[in-house]
Amino acid sequence: MMEAGVVIAGGRPIFWHLPAGRTGGSLPDSRDLWDVLWEHREALDGFAHSHPGSGWPGPSQTDVTTFLAIERALGKRLKWWITSRTNMVLLAWDGRKPDSPTYGSTSLRGDEEPEWIWKLREHSYAPDPKIGGTIVVPETGERVEVLSMGQAKRVY
Amino acid sequence: MVDMVIAANQARVNVTWAGKNGDLPDPVSFDATDGDVKQWVTESVRTGGIPGIDGDPAANFQDFVVERYNATAEVPYNRLFIRPKTPFGE
Repeated sequence: MMEAGVVIAGGRPIFWHLPAGRTGGSLPDSRDLWDVLWEHREALDGFAHSHPGSGWPGPSQTDVTTFLAIERALGKRLKWWITSRTNMVLLAWDGRKPDSPTYGSTSLRGDEEPEWIWKLREHSYAPDPKIGGTIVVPETGERVEVLSMGQAKRVY
Repeated sequence: MVDMVIAANQARVNVTWAGKNGDLPDPVSFDATDGDVKQWVTESVRTGGIPGIDGDPAANFQDFVVERYNATAEVPYNRLFIRPKTPFGE
């Protein structure tokens, strides 16, 4: 597993964040990511990234301090999705403590997950995209077949 | 852009805050510490001292990073950029 991210603007993925130095537990600081966020700040919806394992994910301290720093620089609040192999949450600033990175989390059911989630999971969990494989979403039973790096299709 | 004379051991400081971008009116030492640079930038933004950026008494650059770029043939002076950090995970 390798963590991955994606920038969402206008409801669509505009930048797959797969930096050199990403690991199974982290995405490194990236000037390139900031440049994309700044360039698309008007239409920006938010950023999604993956965590290792299954179940409902929660943000790390690194995550929430990064959320807050980016929002402060942009002057706008964003949506912050985090996915595990099986579940996805959506975090947003809850405003209770202006100087503290407090973000409320909403669990998304399978049918509430954005349609681009399969691609983020492919970039994160496919054991070897060159060989291919199948990702199964337990809650919905949806199967995503990975054909090769950069190609995948839904299998129902 | 602010007109300024920038010595070889100095740098122009570019700041991004609240959707706006601007330069610190005065150059700083290129080898100033990150902490010093962030302190100067914080004071300037809080008091409205950076052209193009609205004054914000709550400005806080704790989780921002300082990037340093040496002078080049195209940009003949050193530059410092203050931007938010972007790591996720551990």
